Amino acid sequence: MARYIAPTQSKASQIFDVIFLVVLTLGALFVPLKMGLSGAAKTVAAPEANPTWESLGQTPAQAAQYEALGYTPESAHDLILARFDYSFTTGALLAMIVVIIAYYVLMLKFSETEYREVIAEKFDGK
Amino acid sequence: MANTDITSKEMDGFGPHGTVVGLLRVLGPAHVWALGVGIVLVGEYMGWNFAVGKGGAYAALIACWFAGILYSCVAMIDSEVTSTVAAAGGQYTQAKHIVGPLMAFNVGLYLTFAYTMLEAANAITAGYLVSVVASMTGYAGELDQRPFIILVIMFLAWLNYRGVLATLTFNLVITAIAFVAILVLFLSTSGVLGGGIMQHAALMEGHELPYGWIGVLAAMHFGLWYYLGIEGTTQAAEEVRSPARALPFGTLAGIMTLLIAATLTWYTCSGVLPWEYLGDGVDGSVAPLFDTARLSGSTGLVWLLGFGTLFATLASANGCINDASRAWFAMGRDKYLPGWFGAVHPRYRTPYRSIVFLVPIALIFALGAPLDQVITFSILSGLLEYTFMPLNVIMFRKKWPLNTIKRGYEHPFHPLPAIVLLCLCGITFFAVFLGYGTQLIAMIGFYIVVSLWFHFWRYRFVSRGAQFTMPWPKPEGY
Amino acid sequence: METWQMLEYAAWGVSALLGLFMVADWLKTDTTYSEDVLTSSREGELEAMTEEHKI
Repeated sequence: MARYIAPTQSKASQIFDVIFLVVLTLGALFVPLKMGLSGAAKTVAAPEANPTWESLGQTPAQAAQYEALGYTPESAHDLILARFDYSFTTGALLAMIVVIIAYYVLMLKFSETEYREVIAEKFDGK
Repeated sequence: MANTDITSKEMDGFGPHGTVVGLLRVLGPAHVWALGVGIVLVGEYMGWNFAVGKGGAYAALIACWFAGILYSCVAMIDSEVTSTVAAAGGQYTQAKHIVGPLMAFNVGLYLTFAYTMLEAANAITAGYLVSVVASMTGYAGELDQRPFIILVIMFLAWLNYRGVLATLTFNLVITAIAFVAILVLFLSTSGVLGGGIMQHAALMEGHELPYGWIGVLAAMHFGLWYYLGIEGTTQAAEEVRSPARALPFGTLAGIMTLLIAATLTWYTCSGVLPWEYLGDGVDGSVAPLFDTARLSGSTGLVWLLGFGTLFATLASANGCINDASRAWFAMGRDKYLPGWFGAVHPRYRTPYRSIVFLVPIALIFALGAPLDQVITFSILSGLLEYTFMPLNVIMFRKKWPLNTIKRGYEHPFHPLPAIVLLCLCGITFFAVFLGYGTQLIAMIGFYIVVSLWFHFWRYRFVSRGAQFTMPWPKPEGY
Repeated sequence: METWQMLEYAAWGVSALLGLFMVADWLKTDTTYSEDVLTSSREGELEAMTEEHKI
C-alpha cells in the first residue's frame, strides 16, 4: 500500500479548526441551558399550610438535627417536601437507547476503516 | 536505537525518533496515587450527596458500592492496558492503538471535557468556600467570588506550567491532609474515640427508600461522583519513571483508598444529617463533611474539615489541569488537533501551550455556567469514556492475546469485569436519562457532529502508520 | 477599607500577575526556540528503547 503523506496545515486553517471546536463545545453546554430544557427541578406536590415537625413526617430525633442546623418547620418546609419526578415515556427511553447505540456503532465502524489503513501501512506498507 | 542510554546526563530527554525536548520522567507511584485520589477526593467533600437526594440515604449507599464495583473494573482494566501503552494521553493513546483513530479522537475529547468541567466545578466550590469563611469571620458585605475563582485557576495553571514534579508533590501533600481529615472525622464522631453522635436508625426511620427502588437506580447518576476521575492516573504515564510498575500500583492503591473514603463519608454524614438536608447540595448541604463537623460541636473539627474541603477542591482542580492538558497535548502531537499544541517547554518540560490554552476555557465554564450543569457535563463525558473501556479491553485481548506482548499487570477473570462494567454503564445511562435526558442527547449530538468533522476533514492531517508507536507485533485478524 | 475587600483586590492582582508571567514566558519561549525543537516530542520513546516485547 502506498504511504500516505499528510499535508501540512496552514496557520489560518489551524486557528479555524480550534475556533470551530470551541464554538461547538460552548454550544453543547449553553444551548440546552438557554432553551430551559436542562436539569431536573424538584417540586413540592402537597404543601403544608401550618407545618410542624410531625406534619412534615419528622421524628423527634430528626427534628432535633434540623433544629441544630438552624431550621424551623417553616424554613425546612420546601427542603423536606420537595421531590423529583421520575416519570418518563417509553418513547423517550427508546429514543435515548437508539441514539446511544447508533453513536457507538457509527464510531466503531468509522474507526475500524481507519484502523485497517493504519495497520496496513505500519506492518505491510514499508 | 538499542544502544541509546536513557540514563545519560548529556542526552536527557533525547529519543530515537528525534525527540529533542520531551516530557520529564520524574514521578513515582506516590505521585500517581496523588494524581488519581487528588482529583476524586473532592467528590467525598461535595457532590456525592446529590445521590442521597435522588433516592434516600440507603440508595446512596447502594449506589456507592455499585459505583465502587464499576470503578474497580475501570481501575483493573485501565491498569492492564496502560501498563502496556504508556504514553501521555492515557485512554486516548490506548484507543488509538486498539480501536482506531476516530474512537481515539472522541476519547481524547471526553477526557479534556470531563477534566476541564471538573476543574471549573472545583473552582466554583473554592470560591463559595472563601465566601463562607468571609461571612464566618464577620464580613458584612457581599463577597465577590469571581477573583477567587480566577485566582484558583490561574495559580494552579501556573504551577502546572512550571513543572510536573512540584505540581504533583503539592497534590500529594494536600490530598493526604484531606484524606486524613475524613479519617479523623470518622474516628471522633463514630464513637471509636470518645462519645459517638451517630444515629442512623433514628434518622432514617420512616425514610428508608423515599422513592422506592427507582430511587436506587436514579442515585447511580451521582454515585459516580464518589470516584469520578480515578482513571486519570494514566495521563501521567509518560512522566512516570517506571510506568509498568507505578501505574498499576498507584491506580489500584487509589481505588482502594477511595472505596474506604467513600464508605466512611457516607457513614459519618448519613448518621448525623437528615436525608432531605443532606441530599440537597444546592439549598441544603453544599459540603456535607463540613456540615457534619459543624454539628459535632468541636471547633477543631470544623477547621480541619474546612481546610480539608478547600484542599480537596484545589487538589482536584490541580490534577484536572494536569490531565486535561496531557490529553490535549497528545492529540496535538499526533495532529488530531493543530500540531501547534504538541509543544513541550524546553526548560519546564511541560505541554505549556495546552496548559495556557485551556485556562480561558475553564474560566468560561467556571464563571458562566451553574454548578450542577457543569457536574453533569463532566459525569456524562466520564460515562461515555467508561462505556468505551470494556470495548477497548475486549478488543485488546482479542488482537493481542496474553502470550503475544508483555503486560505490566494482567487483570483477573477477563471478560467478567468488562461485562460488569458495560452493564453498570447501561444502568447509569438510564439514571442520567431520568433527570438529565436533554443534556445526554445534546452531548451525544455534539460528539456525533465532531466525529463526522474529524472523519471527513480533520483526519487528513494525520499520518497513518506513524501514529501507531508501540513496538508490538501485528494485531491478530488483520 | 475592610480586609476582605483588600483580599478581593489582592486576588485580582495576583491572578493578573500569574497570567502575565505565563503569557510572557510563552512568547519568550516561542521566539527563542525554533518550532521544530519545541514540537519534537514523539510518543512511545521509552518503549522503543527499553521494552523488549518478547516472552
